[in-house]
Amino acid sequence: MNKRAGFGFYTFLAVFVFLVMFPFIWVFLTSIKPPGEIFSSFRWFTGNPTLDSYDAALTNRPLLRYMWNSFVVSTLTTALSLTFASFASYAVTRLPIKGKGLILGIVLAASMFPQIAIISPMFNLITGLGLRNSYIGLVIPYITISLPLSIWILSTFFQKIPYELEESAKLDGASPFQTFRKIIFPLATPGVFTTGILVFIAAWNEYLFSLTINSSDKWRTVPVGISMYQSEFSIPWGDISAATVLVTIPIVIIVLLFQRRIVSGLTSGSVKE
Amino acid sequence: MKNQMDSKEKSVKASKKSFFQLNEKQLGYAFVLPSLLLVFIVTLWPVAQSFYNSMFDYRLNDPTRSQRMLGSNIDLENYVDNYFYLEGQLDNLENTVQSEEATKTVTDIDEGVENYHSQLLSNDTIKQKVAKVDELLMNYKPVTDNELKYNKLDNDFAEDYREALGTYQQQLAELSQATDDEVLSKSLIQTSELLGSMQKNILESNFVGFKNYVKYFKDQRMWKSLWNTTFFTAISIAFELVLGLGIALLINRAFKGRGLVRASVLIPWAIPTAVSAMMWGFLYDGQSGIVGYYLEMFNLIPGASWLLSTSNGAMFSVILADIWKTTPYMALLLLAGLQTIPNSLYEASNVDGANKFQQFLNITLPLLKSSMLVALLFRTLDAFRVFDLIYVLTGGGPANGTESISIYAYETLFSQQNFGAGSVLSVIVFLCVALISFIYVKLIGSDLFAGRTK
Repeated sequence: MNKRAGFGFYTFLAVFVFLVMFPFIWVFLTSIKPPGEIFSSFRWFTGNPTLDSYDAALTNRPLLRYMWNSFVVSTLTTALSLTFASFASYAVTRLPIKGKGLILGIVLAASMFPQIAIISPMFNLITGLGLRNSYIGLVIPYITISLPLSIWILSTFFQKIPYELEESAKLDGASPFQTFRKIIFPLATPGVFTTGILVFIAAWNEYLFSLTINSSDKWRTVPVGISMYQSEFSIPWGDISAATVLVTIPIVIIVLLFQRRIVSGLTSGSVKE
Repeated sequence: MKNQMDSKEKSVKASKKSFFQLNEKQLGYAFVLPSLLLVFIVTLWPVAQSFYNSMFDYRLNDPTRSQRMLGSNIDLENYVDNYFYLEGQLDNLENTVQSEEATKTVTDIDEGVENYHSQLLSNDTIKQKVAKVDELLMNYKPVTDNELKYNKLDNDFAEDYREALGTYQQQLAELSQATDDEVLSKSLIQTSELLGSMQKNILESNFVGFKNYVKYFKDQRMWKSLWNTTFFTAISIAFELVLGLGIALLINRAFKGRGLVRASVLIPWAIPTAVSAMMWGFLYDGQSGIVGYYLEMFNLIPGASWLLSTSNGAMFSVILADIWKTTPYMALLLLAGLQTIPNSLYEASNVDGANKFQQFLNITLPLLKSSMLVALLFRTLDAFRVFDLIYVLTGGGPANGTESISIYAYETLFSQQNFGAGSVLSVIVFLCVALISFIYVKLIGSDLFAGRTK
């Protein structure tokens, strides 16, 4: 389409971006207000910006510990599911096996299973293994989310790799595994990386499993930890806004660095080409 | 020289070659197997377990029902412990009760219990387990292994034993009322209670079949939460689709600052839902919330506190927060779909004199249909499973006004520790999700797998 972008268009764009970003802007402006100015004050800008709320957010609750926990759990989950998923997607897209449709169907069905239908047996399993309040205790249930997601996205990337390369490797006498390791895998690296980002974000954001399985404060992840800032008697909005800003920063960095990849990963699952 | 090295290399490789030399088919199955196994273990098996759990009166916080039992069982840890004390107390009572009649009753009870106990031990497995449990208890160690702690019992025997223990308990309670001696009365009561708790160590089957389902079928709160979930899903998806499509159509052109728009669209999608729920909780707050303040200023809502303290307001707030978080994502998916529509189609229709609206209706919508349906499928499922947004923002309140079925299930499972009844609710979520996916997959058809299998 050859529509030209005019002044009206840019105005619309500005309003749109402002509306989308408004909660972040307001929360950021709140986080640098002195605590006394936060309550019942709707002035946008404070006269005396301060970092008091940040100090409070970091000392009242172990926010950095939550972030570290989230980082470890998400990294482990990503590494594990990418390993298994790249094997499985390669087999489903490139190798002559039977029942491909069935396998993908099972994977898609598994990704649709509601977590609430998995949580109680999973809770019993993790408790039985003695893994509550540990990293592995979260990685195992997270596979329910990340593995189907990885297989689903990775298979589109594997599908796009040209067959000619595989053929010539075969002619040169490479075994199927060598073809996978030396030819296909390096070519699929961008796709694997993209999938990795999406899986990492999905694991970073998970709430239900984390809430039930890691109930000790030391092992909480960011989403659960953040929701613990509100107590029954008072809601420290200053701390909360500062904490929100702090945990959003890594996400913003990831998004800014990898936005093209994220978009290609998100859309590859839903658009046929 | 080169040949030598080659052959050497080959022989080294040959020894560990088996896996790396699989032919394509074998390698394919070997590659798929681990993932399939994992999917079975972490999703299919737990869902099957949830189905199974829903057939039991299974409560973690009630020792007589903390296991799923198809037949009668015995809790050996507590039984052995109680039996140990009971023996001593009964012997003691035999010497202290005064009347001849009472002595006879106590002796009868003692003999009766001993008789049942020896019948119990006539089973070799139970005998061995009792010995092990006894040893653990003597060392003040808890019995953590459920295999050791529980054992199946013959249903008839279990019923007889339970009944006998109940009668004994009754008899001792009557004796204690009949006596004037306060000390004696107290120890009689104590033994009577011990018999009572021993009775509870012999566990009845807690298999209830579909009773839990019947219970929820008549449960107002279940229907209300199901309605809340459906309402939330329908309204937010409808808004997200219309807004998302509008935005996608508008930004489907070349303009400066695409990167900025893309990033600002991705950030709400990328932050944890719980974090965005906390953020919106602050924006909606009755005293310091700016959204409530502005909406009230423009007379759009009755008052700033309307947002979170009334059922309708809370539902509105939850839906608005969801629309904010996922419309950009929807727009992104639809934009990608739009970009696959060849420009030549629009040019051709321009030549034919079609206007913009006709183009939208006859070119854009039909060609966008499949990517739209896939996006809708994923969004509908996500919305129907909604948990963290509502749980953090309103907690399901006020007065269960925003309680989704997942939240009701979570409360029953983990706050009430009722795994049997709670599983019914999670099975209901599962069935609804299955139905929704089934409908969508029928609509989408084989396009769903396009670009994956040949």
